[in-house]
Amino acid sequence: MNTRTIGNYSSLTCTKLTLFTVLAVLIQITGLFLFITGFFPVKPTLSGISGLESFYPPGSDPIDLSQNASTLPPDKLKSLYQEVSGVPPVFNRLVLMVIDGLPAEFVLGRDGMPPSKEFVEAMPYTQSLLTKGLAIGYHAKAAPPTVTMPRLKAMLSGAVGEFLDVAFNFNTQAFLDDNLIGQFFRFGWKMVMLGDETWLKLFPGMFTRYDGVSSFFVKDTIQVDYNVSRHLADELKSTDWDLLILHYLGLDHVGHIGGRNCILMTPKLMEMDEVIKMIHSSTIQTQEVEQRGTLLLVVSDHGMTESGNHGGSSYEETDSLALFISPGTFGYTSETDIKAFQVDIAATLALLFGVPIPKNNIGMLMEDVFTSLTDEQQLRILELNSWQLLRLLQAQFPELECGRFSCESGSGGHEGAEMFCCLYLDAAALFESWKSKNSSRSAGGDDYRNIVLAYQNFLRSASKWLSGRATDKPIGLLALGIAAMLLSCSILVGLLFVYGRDAPFGGRQHLSHIDNMKKWHLDEIFSLAVIFILISSMGSSSMVEEEQYIWHFMTASLYLIFFRKTLQFSTPGRLLDAQNVDRKQKRSCSRIYSIVAVLISGRILKGWHQGGVNWVHLPDISKLLEQAGSAAIKSLQLISVLLVISISLTAILLPFWKSHFVMLFTIIFLFPGWLVLLYILNYQDSIVTSASSDAIATTVAQSIYALLSIFTVVILFTIPWFMPLKNSKTFRLFCLSSDISPQIQREPLFWGFRYSIYAIGWCCVFSWCLLQLLLQQPINSMPVLLLLVQILASIWYFSDGGPHTRQWVEVAALYYVGMTGHFGLGNTNTLATIDVAGAYIGVSSHSTFISGILMFIITYASPMFALLSMLIYVSVKDMSAFMDTQNDMNVGQLLKTCVGYPCLVPLGLNSIFLVAYTLILLLMRNHLFVWSVFSPKYLYVCATTACIYVGTSFVALATTYTFMVFVARRKLKEGLMNE
Amino acid sequence: MEKEKRQRNLNSSETKIDMVLFIPPAKVFVLHLICGLGLASAFWAAQNFYSINLVSNPAETLHLIWIVEASVVILLYSLFRHNPDKCSYFKAVGRALVGLPAGAIVNALGAIVLGAPIGLQHFRKTVHWSLLMSVLTFVPAASVFGSSWTDWHRIFAQTKSIGAVDYMICFPAHGAAIGAWFGAWPMPLDWERPWQEWPICVTYGAIVGYLSGMMTSFGFIAFKNWRRRVKGD
Repeated sequence: MNTRTIGNYSSLTCTKLTLFTVLAVLIQITGLFLFITGFFPVKPTLSGISGLESFYPPGSDPIDLSQNASTLPPDKLKSLYQEVSGVPPVFNRLVLMVIDGLPAEFVLGRDGMPPSKEFVEAMPYTQSLLTKGLAIGYHAKAAPPTVTMPRLKAMLSGAVGEFLDVAFNFNTQAFLDDNLIGQFFRFGWKMVMLGDETWLKLFPGMFTRYDGVSSFFVKDTIQVDYNVSRHLADELKSTDWDLLILHYLGLDHVGHIGGRNCILMTPKLMEMDEVIKMIHSSTIQTQEVEQRGTLLLVVSDHGMTESGNHGGSSYEETDSLALFISPGTFGYTSETDIKAFQVDIAATLALLFGVPIPKNNIGMLMEDVFTSLTDEQQLRILELNSWQLLRLLQAQFPELECGRFSCESGSGGHEGAEMFCCLYLDAAALFESWKSKNSSRSAGGDDYRNIVLAYQNFLRSASKWLSGRATDKPIGLLALGIAAMLLSCSILVGLLFVYGRDAPFGGRQHLSHIDNMKKWHLDEIFSLAVIFILISSMGSSSMVEEEQYIWHFMTASLYLIFFRKTLQFSTPGRLLDAQNVDRKQKRSCSRIYSIVAVLISGRILKGWHQGGVNWVHLPDISKLLEQAGSAAIKSLQLISVLLVISISLTAILLPFWKSHFVMLFTIIFLFPGWLVLLYILNYQDSIVTSASSDAIATTVAQSIYALLSIFTVVILFTIPWFMPLKNSKTFRLFCLSSDISPQIQREPLFWGFRYSIYAIGWCCVFSWCLLQLLLQQPINSMPVLLLLVQILASIWYFSDGGPHTRQWVEVAALYYVGMTGHFGLGNTNTLATIDVAGAYIGVSSHSTFISGILMFIITYASPMFALLSMLIYVSVKDMSAFMDTQNDMNVGQLLKTCVGYPCLVPLGLNSIFLVAYTLILLLMRNHLFVWSVFSPKYLYVCATTACIYVGTSFVALATTYTFMVFVARRKLKEGLMNE
Repeated sequence: MEKEKRQRNLNSSETKIDMVLFIPPAKVFVLHLICGLGLASAFWAAQNFYSINLVSNPAETLHLIWIVEASVVILLYSLFRHNPDKCSYFKAVGRALVGLPAGAIVNALGAIVLGAPIGLQHFRKTVHWSLLMSVLTFVPAASVFGSSWTDWHRIFAQTKSIGAVDYMICFPAHGAAIGAWFGAWPMPLDWERPWQEWPICVTYGAIVGYLSGMMTSFGFIAFKNWRRRVKGD
C-alpha cells in the first residue's frame, strides 16, 4: 500500500500537473479558436461590387462594358446607368434619418392596432403624414443580433450580417462589402453625415461634411441629439448634398436608462417628430426647384425590449421601422401593418435612385413606394431585382444553369435550385411575352398582375431561402477544433482522476472513515449528475432560454443533500466523551446554519430577477422594488454596501485581532468603501446631469478603480513578506481545530501561508464586491450581498471540519453557486441582458478595450466571485491530514494539495460544458433558433471559459507566489540559524 | 471478549427486532393497496362528486386528496406503531395528527427553497400540496415512531431500514420526495400546458413516486420473506 502511494505521488508531481494543465488549456484555446472561425464565417458570398452587369441578365455578363464602366467619371457613370436601366430615378435626393432603437410599434402600432395614445400624441406630424398617404410605414423585421452596426450594414448592403459582427460591434472597421453608400459615392453623390460616428468608421472618407457623436455615454440623452440637430437648419438650406444621413442615438439611450415607458420617452419622440416636420416641410419647399424631390426615409436599426435593451430576437427587438416620406404623395391609402425585412431597404433604395443593387443583397424591393412608375418600369425593377438574386443563387449552386431542364408546371416537385430556376423562368417568360405583344397590353391588366405575381413569387422564395440558408461550414476546421477541445477535455478530466486517486481526502482521516470514503456518496453522484442534466437540457432551445431554473434547482438540491448529510453525521457517537459530543453538536449546528443561509439567500437571489424569456413578465423582487420607487432601491443599496463592508471587515479582522494588521486592513477596506458610498449617494442616479458633476463622478469612479487595484496588488505582494513566522496566540483562524500536532502548528509553511492567503483572498473578494456595487445596476446591489453571504456560508460549511465531503465536491459546489449567481444577477442567454450602461462608468474617453473589460466584469461578476473565493477556501481548508502523512514536507506536493482541486475542478467542469455545448451547437446548426438562441449561448459559454481561465490562473499564481515567499523565508531563517 | 459479547448481543437484538418487526407480505400488500386505493378514490371522488380535477382546481383537489389519504394512512399505520404495549392506538393517531402540520412545514420549506413560487395566489395551493406531501412522507413515520430521534434519523437521514415497518415507511416516503423532485422538471419548459403550473406536475410526480415506492416496499418485504423461508428450510 505504502509503496503504491509513493509511486502514485511521484507519478504526478506539481510541475507535471501544472505543465499538463497549461497544455490542456492551450489546446482548448486553439480548438475553440478553430471552431469559432469555422462555425461563424466572416466572408461574404460574392466578392466585388455590382456594376453595369447588374442591368443585364445573368449569364450574358458584358465583361468589357463593366471594365469600361469602372474607369468612367461619376457623371458619365450616372447617365450610363440610367440609360441601361431604363428606369428614371424616382427621387433626386435622400435624407436618411436613423432613429436608434425606435420600435416600429411606436409609430405604426402592432397587429393592425394603432399605437398607444401617448405615442400618437407624441408624434402628431408623423401620424398626420401617415393618414394623408404622404408616408408609407413598414415593420422592417431586423435579423438578430439586434445591435447597431450589423443592422446598419444589413440596411445598406442588403445582406444579413454574420453573427460575429456583434463581437466587432464596438470595434468598428471600414465596411468593404458592396453597399449603397459606396455605390452612391461612385455615382458622384455628395454625402453629409450627422450623428453616430459608427458611420464614419464604416465609410471613412466618403462624406463631404460630417459631425460624429459617440454612443459611448449612454446616460446622455440630450446632448447626443442636439449635436445632430444643430446643423440641420443649415444643411436643409444648402443644396449641395445628395444624401443627408442623420443618426439620432438619444432614443436608444432613453431606452437603456428607463425602458420603453421611461418618462423621457415622450419628449424624445416629440423631438424626433419635430425633426421629421422640419425636414419634410423643407423638402416640400425645395420640390418646386427640383424635378423629382427629396425622399425622407426614417428608419430604426432595431427595436427594444420592455426594459429598453436589445440584441436578441424577440418581436420587440426586431420590430424596426422603415418609413418612406415623400414630398408628394405615394398614391396609396395608409395601411399601417405592412411587413417587410430590414434588408429590403437596400434593394428598394438602390432601385429608387438607379444604382446597381449591392452584390450580396438578399432583400426584395418594397413595391408600394414605386407606385409613381409606369407598369413597364415597375416590371423592369422587379426584373433587375430578380437578376441580382439569381446571381446570388448561382453562387450558391455553382452547377445551376436555368434552361437546361423543362419546368412544366405539371411535373411539379422541383426542389431547391431547380425550383428557383423554374420560378424565375416563369416570370421571365411571362415578361417577355408581355413585352412582345406591345400593342394589346393594357394598364393594370390581368397579364400585368400575373407577371408581378410571378416575379414576387420568385423574389420572395429566393429571399427567404437566402436569408435562412445554412452556409457551408468548413468541415475540416470544425472537426479539428472539436478534436482539440475533446483532447483538452480528456486531459483535464484525466488529470482530475489521477489527482483524485493521489490526493488525500477532504479532511482529517479517521480510521473509521476510510471505508466510508471509498464508497460513492449521494452528494458526489449528484454533483456529477448535475453535469449530465445540464448538458442534456442544453439541447432544447427553451431550456437554454430558461437556464436559470436548472442552475438554481440543481444548486439548491445539492445543498439540500449536504443538509441531509450533515444530519446523517450529527448523531452523537457513543465512543466520544462528553466534551467532544458537545463540540461536535456545536459544529453540526453551525454547519446546519450555514447551509440554511446558503439556501435562503439562494432562494431570494432566484426571486430577484425572473429572467429567461418565457416568464420574464411574471412579478419578481426587482420589479416590486422598481414599483416601490427609487428611494426603496437606494436604501437597500446603502444597506447592502454597509453590510458588505462590515461582513468583510469582520471576517478579515477575526484572525488578526490585536495585531498590527488591524489598522492596515481597516484603512484599506474602509476608504474605498467610503468612496463607493459617496458615489452611490451623490452621482449614481442622475439621468440628466450637468457636465461638471459628470466629470466629478467619473473622477470618483476612476479613483475607486485605482485604489482597489493598488490595494489588491500591494496586499498580494507584501503580505507574505510581513506575516510573522512565529505563531503568536493573537492569530487564530476560525476553523483551525486544536487537535493538530504542535509540530505542524509551528510550521510557517502550514499556517503563515494560510493566514496570508486568507488575507489576500479577502482583499480580492472585498475589492470585487465593491467593484460590483459600483458597476452593477442599483437594483443588483442586494444580490451582490446575497452572493457574498452564499459563498461565505458555503466556505464556512466546507471549512468546519467536513470530513465526509470530498474536496472536489466542495469546489464544484462553489462553482455551481457562482453559475447560479450569474443568472441570479439577471443575466440570461440572450445578448439583450448585457448591461451596456454600466460599462461606461468612470470612462472619460472612448475606449473600446476598457468598456469591454468593464462589461465583462459586470456580466461575469458571480463566476469570478466564486473563483476568487477559492483563495479563502484554500486558506481555511484543513490540510493537516496531508501534513501528517508527509514527513519530508515536499514543497511541491504541499502546493499541489492546496491549489489542485480549486483550479482543476473549475477547468475540468468548464471543459466538459464547452465540449458538450460545442457538439450541441454543431448538431443544432440547422435549427430554426440557431442564431437567436444557440449562438448567443455559445458566446456566453466562450466568455465563461475566458472567465474561468482568468480566475483559476489568478488563484494559482497568487497561491504559488505566497507559497514561494514562505519557502524562501524559511530557507533564510534556517540559514541564519545555522550560522 | 468484550467485543464478541457485544456482537452476540447485537445479533440477538437484531433477530429480536426482526421477529418483532416481521410482518407477513400479504398484510403489507393489503396496507399498500388500501393506501393506493385511497389516492385513487380521492381522485375519483373529486372528478365525480365535485367535478373538479387537479388541473382546473388544484387547491380544492389537493385538499380533498390529503384529507382522504391522511385518514387512510393514519388509521392504517397506527396499527404498526412501535412499542404497542406502552403506546395506545389513539396515542399513535394523535402523534400522527401532530406530525401532519409539522411535516407540511418541512415540505413547504423544502419546496420553496427549491424554487416553488411564493405569493398570495399560490398560498392555498402550497399549503394543501405540502399537507399532502406530509401525509405521504412524514405522517406514517410520526404515527409509528412518535418522537424517537434515532428512528427518524435512521429512516430519513441515513435511509437504513431494519424490518418490514421501516421498509413500509422508508420506500414510499423517499419515492414521493424523489418523484416530486423529478415532477418539477417540466415546469420551466415552454409547452404552455396547464399542468405545468405549480404544484400540479409536482403532485403527479410525487404520487407516481409514492406508488412505485409502495411497490418496491412490498417487493422487498416479499423477497426478504422468501429468503428467510429458504434459509429456514
